[in-house]
Amino acid sequence: MNRHWNSYLNQTLSRRELLRVSSAGFGTLALAGLLGSERAQAAAGPLDVKAPHFPARAKRVIFLFMHGGPSQVDTFDYKPLLKRDHGKPLPFARPKVVSSETFNLLQSPWEFKQYGQSGAWVSDLFPSLAAKVDDICFIKSMHGSNSRHGGALLELHTGSDTFIRPSMGSWITYGLGSENSSMPGFVTICPTQSHGGANNFGSAFLPAPYAGTAIGSVGIAARDARIPFITNTETPRRIQRVEIDYTQELNRKQLEATGPDHALEGRIESFELAFRMQAEAPDLQDISGESEATKKMYGLDNPITEDFGRQCLMARRFSEKGVRFVQVSHTYKWDQHTNLKRDHQQNAAEVDKPMAALLTDLKARGLLEDTLVLWAGEFGRTPTAQASDGRDHNPEAFTVWLAGGGVKPGYSHGSTDDYGYYSVDKKVHFHDLHATILHLLGLDHLRLTYRYAGRDFRLTDVHGNVVKEILA
Amino acid sequence: MFGVRAIALLGLGLPLVAQQDGSAFFEKNVRPILVRQCLGCHSSTSQPVMGGLRLDTREASLKGGSRGPAIVPGNPGESLLMKAVLHTAGPLKMPPGPRMKDADAALLTQWIQMGAPWGDAQATAAPAARKFWAFDAPRPAPLPEVKNTAWATSPVDRFVLARLEAKGLAPAPPADRRTLIRRATYDLTGLPPTPAEVDAFLADRSPDAFGKVVDRLLASPRYGERWGRHWLDVARYADSNGLDENLVYKNAFRYRDYVIAAFNKDKPFDQFLREQIAGDLLPPSEDLNTMYERWTATGFLSLGAKMLAEDDPVKMQMDIVDEQVDTTMRAFLGLTVGCARCHDHKFDPIPQKDYYALAGIFRSSKTMENFKVVAKWHEYVLAPKADRDRLAAHEANVEAKRKEAAALTSTENRKLTAAAIERVGAYLLAAAHVKRDREVQVAPVENAAGALERAAGSFDAGNAPREILRRKANTVPGVKGPYWAEYKVAVTQAGQYQLDVLDQEKGAGTADIHVNGAWMLRGAPPIQNREASPEVDGWSFAAIVPLRAGENVIRLEHASRFPYFTKLMLSPNTLERAPLNIVQIAGRYEVNPGLLEQMVDHLERSNGAPSSVLYAWEILGSNAKLDAWASPAKALFAGQSFSTPEDLAQRYSELFRKAAAEGANTQDPGLKALYEFLHEKFGPFRAPEGARRFYAAEARRELERLDEEAKQLEAATPDLPRAMGVSEGAEIADAPIHIRGSHWTLGEKVPRGFIQALGDPLPQALGTHESGRLELARWMTAQGHPLTSRVIANRLWGWHFGRGIVASVDNFGRLGDKPTDQPLLDWLALRFVEQGWSMKAMHRTLMLSNTYRMSSQYNAKAAEADPENELLWRMPRRRLEAEEIRDGIMSVSGALRLDMGGSILKYKDRQYVANTSKGGEVDYDRPIRTVYVPVVRSSLYDVLRAFDLPDPAMSSGSRDSTVVAPQALFMMNSPVMLTHSLVMADSLLQRAGDSDAARIREAYERALSRPPTAQEIDRALTYLARFETEWKGDRRHAWQSFCKSLLASSEFAYLN
Repeated sequence: MNRHWNSYLNQTLSRRELLRVSSAGFGTLALAGLLGSERAQAAAGPLDVKAPHFPARAKRVIFLFMHGGPSQVDTFDYKPLLKRDHGKPLPFARPKVVSSETFNLLQSPWEFKQYGQSGAWVSDLFPSLAAKVDDICFIKSMHGSNSRHGGALLELHTGSDTFIRPSMGSWITYGLGSENSSMPGFVTICPTQSHGGANNFGSAFLPAPYAGTAIGSVGIAARDARIPFITNTETPRRIQRVEIDYTQELNRKQLEATGPDHALEGRIESFELAFRMQAEAPDLQDISGESEATKKMYGLDNPITEDFGRQCLMARRFSEKGVRFVQVSHTYKWDQHTNLKRDHQQNAAEVDKPMAALLTDLKARGLLEDTLVLWAGEFGRTPTAQASDGRDHNPEAFTVWLAGGGVKPGYSHGSTDDYGYYSVDKKVHFHDLHATILHLLGLDHLRLTYRYAGRDFRLTDVHGNVVKEILA
Repeated sequence: MFGVRAIALLGLGLPLVAQQDGSAFFEKNVRPILVRQCLGCHSSTSQPVMGGLRLDTREASLKGGSRGPAIVPGNPGESLLMKAVLHTAGPLKMPPGPRMKDADAALLTQWIQMGAPWGDAQATAAPAARKFWAFDAPRPAPLPEVKNTAWATSPVDRFVLARLEAKGLAPAPPADRRTLIRRATYDLTGLPPTPAEVDAFLADRSPDAFGKVVDRLLASPRYGERWGRHWLDVARYADSNGLDENLVYKNAFRYRDYVIAAFNKDKPFDQFLREQIAGDLLPPSEDLNTMYERWTATGFLSLGAKMLAEDDPVKMQMDIVDEQVDTTMRAFLGLTVGCARCHDHKFDPIPQKDYYALAGIFRSSKTMENFKVVAKWHEYVLAPKADRDRLAAHEANVEAKRKEAAALTSTENRKLTAAAIERVGAYLLAAAHVKRDREVQVAPVENAAGALERAAGSFDAGNAPREILRRKANTVPGVKGPYWAEYKVAVTQAGQYQLDVLDQEKGAGTADIHVNGAWMLRGAPPIQNREASPEVDGWSFAAIVPLRAGENVIRLEHASRFPYFTKLMLSPNTLERAPLNIVQIAGRYEVNPGLLEQMVDHLERSNGAPSSVLYAWEILGSNAKLDAWASPAKALFAGQSFSTPEDLAQRYSELFRKAAAEGANTQDPGLKALYEFLHEKFGPFRAPEGARRFYAAEARRELERLDEEAKQLEAATPDLPRAMGVSEGAEIADAPIHIRGSHWTLGEKVPRGFIQALGDPLPQALGTHESGRLELARWMTAQGHPLTSRVIANRLWGWHFGRGIVASVDNFGRLGDKPTDQPLLDWLALRFVEQGWSMKAMHRTLMLSNTYRMSSQYNAKAAEADPENELLWRMPRRRLEAEEIRDGIMSVSGALRLDMGGSILKYKDRQYVANTSKGGEVDYDRPIRTVYVPVVRSSLYDVLRAFDLPDPAMSSGSRDSTVVAPQALFMMNSPVMLTHSLVMADSLLQRAGDSDAARIREAYERALSRPPTAQEIDRALTYLARFETEWKGDRRHAWQSFCKSLLASSEFAYLN
C-alpha cells in the first residue's frame, strides 16, 4: 500500500506503520539508529520536532549562499606575498584538473586591514561586515573536489558532485523536524535554477516533505517571491472558508463511509493547515511591520542593497518563527573570470550591509545564540590571473565563515599557502563542514542515515570529520 | 576506544582462561561463530569472496583481504576483525545486519588475545552454500489448496486466498460495479470513466461484462499513456539534463512516445528490453521505421542526468557509464550495483570485477559525442542513409567555413600584434599619456552659452529607431547591426568642443562616437548585475572633440542595438588642458587602441612589481630603486642611463624588436624574458577584444562574407528528426578495475561480461568489434534468468495492487524485502514468459481475478490481524497520482484534449532551460495529457512536484503517496483547479433545460462516477444558495465553487 506522509501534521503514525513503511522499501526512515529508541516512538509526522542525538548548540541555520565563487584572496584570506610577487609565475604546480588556463600571480586590487579584538583581516570590500568580525568564525582552509559550478554547488549543498543526493537542509529537517507546523521546515529564498538548480535544495531519496520549499526564484525580486499556490487571488478569505467547510464536509462523509483511514484523516487536517498557512506565510514575508531603523539597517532604502537586504530580513523572520533551515541566495554573481575589480566591488556592496545587519539583528534579539549563520560560495578563485582582470575557479582553497550557534567567535581556522592557491593547514572539506554543521545542531553525521537502494546513506557519504577546533 | 569496551566485556562474564588449550577453545567457541556469521561470504567457496577476505584458515585470516590483515594475534585492539565486529572501523560494520552479540564478540576478543590459535588444520568449511532466493531461477509450484474454492476462481486467487485462510481471514466482498469500473479505468488509462461508460457496464449483465471492460480499456490508446508512464518512472525519463547544466533534451520525447507505443502495441517485454539496451545492434531490418524505433529505444541509456561540465573528461565518462550500469541493473534486474564501483558489494554477490565487466560494455558504447565542457550527447538522425550522408556533408561544409574564418582571424590577429611588437616604445609613451589624462576629471557642462543640443531621435541619417526607449534593445526588425545615427552640427569656429550626453543608459553598454569620420570614443561594455546597478540620469561627459568651422558629422554607432539617451550637447571647450581618451591618444601615437588599453591595464596591475620586465619603465618618477629589479631583463639595461622617458621607451623598443627577431631560442636570458612577455597568453600583446574592427577593410569584408555564408549554410541545414540514443563506441575495450572508484588508480583489466553470481557467463570473450550490449540484452532475457521476469512481474503486480510481492520493487538484493509469497511471484514470472512476455495478458490475469475485484471495505478483524493489508484481505485504497489528478480534473471539466505524442517544449535542442521561472517556455496550461507535459529536471512542473513524481533523475518503480498541506493549497488555489472548475461550472450551466438538481446529478456522475443521494442534492442546493448570497449573487462562481469542492474531495482523489 501507499505511504502517507502527513506533513506538517501532528498526526501520529504508529511505530508499526513506520515499520510498514520500511518494509514497503520505498526508502525508509533511518530505523537502524531509531528503532527501539524513544525517538522512534516519538517519530510521528515527518516534520514533527525530533530530539537531536545530543544537546545542540544551534537550533536552526541561515545559509547565505554566494553563487559564483567569491575570491578568498580578495576578501578574507590576506596574502601579502601575492602583492610582492604580482606578475611572477606561480612557484608551484597547479592542480591536475583545472577549469581554465590561468597565468601569473595577480595581486588583489583591494587593501586589507585588521579589525576588532580578534584582529581578523578583511579587505576593503566588506566595510560593514568588518565591524562584526568578533562574532565571526572564519574557515580559511576549505577545499572541495570539483572545479565547475554545477559540481561544486551540488557538493556544497548535498555533499556529492556525482549523483543527486539530498540537500543538507533536507537532512537537517529530516533529523530535527520543524518547529513551526504552519511553515515548511526548509525554505530557500530566490534560489538558483542553474548549476544543479532544484537538486541543490531537493530531498532526492528522502521523502518529499524534507525538500526545500522555494520562495520565488532567481530573477524574481525578493519582494515578489511567494510559496507555490499560496496566493488565493479569486475568493475572499471569508468565502473561501465557506467553500472549505463544504469540501471538508464531503471529506468527512467519505471517511465515515470508508472506515478508519490515516490518509483520509490526514487529508482533512491538511486542508485546515493549508488554510492557516495561506494566512501565516504571507504575514511572515510581510515586512511592513518592521521598524524604519531595521529596514534601513538592512539597506532596504538603497536600491543596491534592497534585494539582498530583504532576503536577509525575511530569513531572520523565518528563523524567528522556527523554520529550521533558511537559505538566502546571492545568485550567480561572483564568477569573475574578468572584471574582477568592478564586479566583486559591486557584489560586495550588495551583500555587505545586509549581512552585517543580519548578525546585528540576530544578536540583538538573542537569536544568534542558537542560530547558525553560514556564509559560503561553491569554491574560491585562483590567485593567478585569468585574462588580465579575472580569476578562475579554485576548489583547492577558499574561505567560508560561520557565526552564532556554538561556533567560536572571533576565530580563524586553518590556512592556505603563501598565495592562497591551496589549503595547507587544518584542511576542511565540504564533508567536514557538513559534519560540523550537523554536530552543532546536535546530530551525529555518522548516525543520521537513511536507507535507500539497499544502503544507509549519509550527508557525509563515507567521509567527514567534525572540526572540533571551531566549536565554542 | 576499543580497549575499554573489550576489557569491560571480559570483566563482565567470562573467566580468564589463560591456560586453556587454544585448539579446543577455537573449536568450541570460535569456529561456530565464524561458520554462523562470517564464512558465508568469507571462505574459499564464497561467490565471490567478499573484500578478498577469507576467514576459513588461519593463514588466510592473517593475510587478510583488500583492507589488510584481519587479525593481529595477541592484539584484538589492532585487529580489523574486531573493529568491524564492534563497529569501530568507521563505515565497515560486520557482520551485516544487527551487531554481533556481546558474548560472541568477547569470545573473539579473547581468542585473538590468546594469539588466535586454530583448530583442525583443515580449512573450516563454509555452511552448505545456500543460494539467495533471488539468484535461483523461478520454480514452478503447484497451486495451493484452498477451502473457499468458489471464490478462488483464478490461480492468483488461490495463492492469495491460501495465505488468508492460513490466518483465518476471508477476502472482502466484491466491489460494486461503479467502484470497479472507476478503479479499472483509472488503473489502465489514468482517467475516470465517463458516465456513459459506467451506464454501459451497469447495463451489461453478461458474465464477462468486466472482462469486456478490461479488453476495451487495454485496446484504448489511453492505456499506453498510463502504463508507459509507469515505465518512464523506471527509465528516469526527463526532457532536460538537469544535473549541473540544465540543457534541454529536445528529442527525449521520441523515447517517451516509443514507450507509449510499445505498451499500446503490447510489445513483448523481452523485445522491449532488448531494444532499449541494444536496439541498434539487433539484426538490421529493411523497414526504416523499425530501425528508427530501435535507435530511439536506446534513448533509455542516454536519458540519465549527466555532469556535462566536468573538467576531468575521464571522470565524466565513468560517471555516465556508472549511471547506465546502475540504472540498467536496477530497472531490469532489481539490483543495486552502484556500490561495486568502489568496492565489492557488501551484501550482494557483486564483486567490483563484475561491475567493471559491465562498465566495460557501456564504456565501449557511444553515448556522448565528446566529453568537453559542456559535453554533447549523441543523437541519431532518423532519416534514410542518403539524407544522413547529405546532412553530414552539409555539416562538414559549415565546419569548413568556420575554420576558414578562424584561420583568417588568427592571421589578422598576428598582423596586429606583430605591428605592435615593432612599436613597444610608442605603446609605453601612449600608456603614460593615458594615465596622465585619466587623472583629469571632466564635469559635464550641463548648460552653456552657445551650446548646441540635439535630441536623440533627431538624427539626420541613420538606421536607428527614431523613438529610442529606456531599457530596451532599440533595434529595428529586419535591420542588421551595426545601428548608427549621424547628427549634423554646424559651428562657426573651429576648435575643441566638449561633447556631453543626457540621461545615457550605461548598463547595457554605450555607443562608439566618431566625429567627421575620425573615431573619438569607444563605447563602454555592458555592466554585469544591471538589476542592482541603478542608472543615474542627467548629463554625463563623453569626450572632447575637434570640430571644424561649418558642418560636422557626429556619428553614434553600436554593433547590435542603439543605446538609450535623450540628448547630445556640444559646447566650446573651456578646459586649459583637455584630456584625451584612449582612442584619441592611440590616434596621436599611431598605436592600436585595443592593444593600448591592454597595455594600460597591464601597467596598472603590475604597478612596479619587481618581477616585471617593464620594471624600469613602471618606476619612472617614483622613489623605487632599480636595484630591486628581479627580472633577467635587468641585465639588458646595465650601465645605461636615460635622460628622458622617450629615451627609455626607445631602448625598450629596440630590445623588444631584437627579442622578437631572435625568437624563443635566444641564449640571452634578458631577451628571452622579453620574448616571453610578448607572447604571454594574457599579456598586453594578445589579440585585443573585438579585434576585427582593427583589421584591414578587405579582411573585414572577407570575414563578413565567410560568416554570412556559414550562417546561411547553417540555416539551410536539413532539419531531420533526431533521437537520443547509444551506438557502438569508436574504441571497444575491457575496462580496468578502478581502485576505490578512482580513475587515477587503476587495477587489472576485467573482460567484459555480466554478473557472475546470476549464472550463464559468456561462452567466449567479447571481441573488439562488439561492445557486448547485445549479449547483455540477450543474457538478461534468456530463458531461466532468475531476475528479469520476476522483477517485471513484480512491478506489474505492484502497479496494480499498490505494493509489490517484493515490496522493494527496485531492489531484489539481500537488503531488499523478501517476497511475501515467493511461489506466487514465481508463478507470475513463469506465466508472464509463457504468455510471450505480454503485458496485456498479464493485466488480464491480474485484473480478472477475484482478488482485484474485492472492495476496499474496512474489516476490523482483518485490520487487527493484518493492519498493513499485506495479505490482501481487501483491495487497497489509493490516492490518485499526479497525472491522474490533473488529467482527471481536465477530463471531468471536459477540456482534456487527447492529442498524442510530440513535444510542446519551445526550446531548441541543447538549449539551456531558462534560468528564471519567468522563462515561460513551457505551456503547462495546455490541456493535453500530463504524460506529454515536459519533465524539466530541476524545474519540475509544480503539479508533478506537489503530487510526488519521483525525482526524474533516479530510476524508481514506486511512488510516494504523501498527504501534505501544499496539495491542499493546490486544490484551493492552483490555476489548474481554478480554470477547470470554472469550465465545468460553465458546461453545467449551459444545459438550459436542466434543473439545478439535474446539474448536480450530472456533476456527481462526471466527477465521482455515481449519482448523488437525495440528501447530497439538498445539501448542494443549500450550499449553492448560501454561496451565491455570500458572494453578491454570483451564480457562476457559486457553481465553480461547488465543482471545485467535488474535485477537491477525498472521494475524487482516492480510489476505492
